[in-house]
Amino acid sequence: MTSAVFKSLSVLVADDSAYMRQLLTGLLHALGVGTIHVATDGDAALKAFETHEPELVITDAAMKPVDGFTFAEKLRLIDRGTLATVPIIMISGHTDLASIERARDIGISEFLSKPVSPRSLYQRLIAAIDRPRQFIETPTFRGPDRRRSARPFTGPERRAPVTLI
Amino acid sequence: MKTVNPENEANAVDVRFIRVPSIAERKLGPDHAGPMRLDPRMLDNMQQTIRGLEGKYGETLLRQIDGLFRLLDDIAAGSQSACDRLYDIAHDMRGLAGTFGHPMISRFANSLCTYIEGTVSSERLDGTILRFHIEAMQDTLSGRENNDIIALETLRALERLIKTTIRERRIAG
Repeated sequence: MTSAVFKSLSVLVADDSAYMRQLLTGLLHALGVGTIHVATDGDAALKAFETHEPELVITDAAMKPVDGFTFAEKLRLIDRGTLATVPIIMISGHTDLASIERARDIGISEFLSKPVSPRSLYQRLIAAIDRPRQFIETPTFRGPDRRRSARPFTGPERRAPVTLI
Repeated sequence: MKTVNPENEANAVDVRFIRVPSIAERKLGPDHAGPMRLDPRMLDNMQQTIRGLEGKYGETLLRQIDGLFRLLDDIAAGSQSACDRLYDIAHDMRGLAGTFGHPMISRFANSLCTYIEGTVSSERLDGTILRFHIEAMQDTLSGRENNDIIALETLRALERLIKTTIRERRIAG
């Protein structure tokens, strides 16, 4: 089952490091991913995304001249079918809380810190492919629900009108 | 489906929850069998890919360390672009060296990046600290410092040196 999904999967990899691109495409090939597009910065990645409409995006955070955060922000503004909820896996050498919170607030689906290990990448891919979180859309945020677990809540309901699609 | 909480209607913020069908479900249909799990054979394939790239990466590391040494003179002369270039190389090493079996080099590179990130301008960078980091990476890569305990002690000493230098600079204004 897993191999059938990967075989027909199309992924966009955005990283300004040639070695990192080679590593990521090598690892995706090893998983049997059928279609891999690569881009060298955020602007090129956005163009490639518009052209190829991949089903999943893996992006580095710190690219030059246009970084992965800016690219991801632009992706989350796209409101067309499945592209609107495309899973974004962000890879970063910065593992400080501020970077992780920034990624979360932009609507990143999964965050992966460097150094990348095969297991950690594989786990994030499976989470993005098989267990996507519902999306939340507000005037200021569009992205996966930040709550990863459904814990019961016994306090007063204070939520405003909600539309479930 | 729409639910409205009248108590909060006055402060209403428009929120939509969107169910995202999984890619696996889209590809295999709603009745696809069970959740996806890690396949040990695929993991092994991925490990082999990394092993295949390790040798080539060792040569790249050598070139990058040489490149770092060559940038030191320009940085000492106050070149911001040389400083930016040094940071880019160190950042690359921080992210990649650990993946390719050089975790200590990744940690030295991380310490170097942290030092540059915490320093306001290239003019305030201490060339000695930069050089010590690069030499530590070179020693680790060449196997002259193949003892992890010594490498860790070197790293801790560098981190202490950075803290002291930054503190002294703050006091001096």
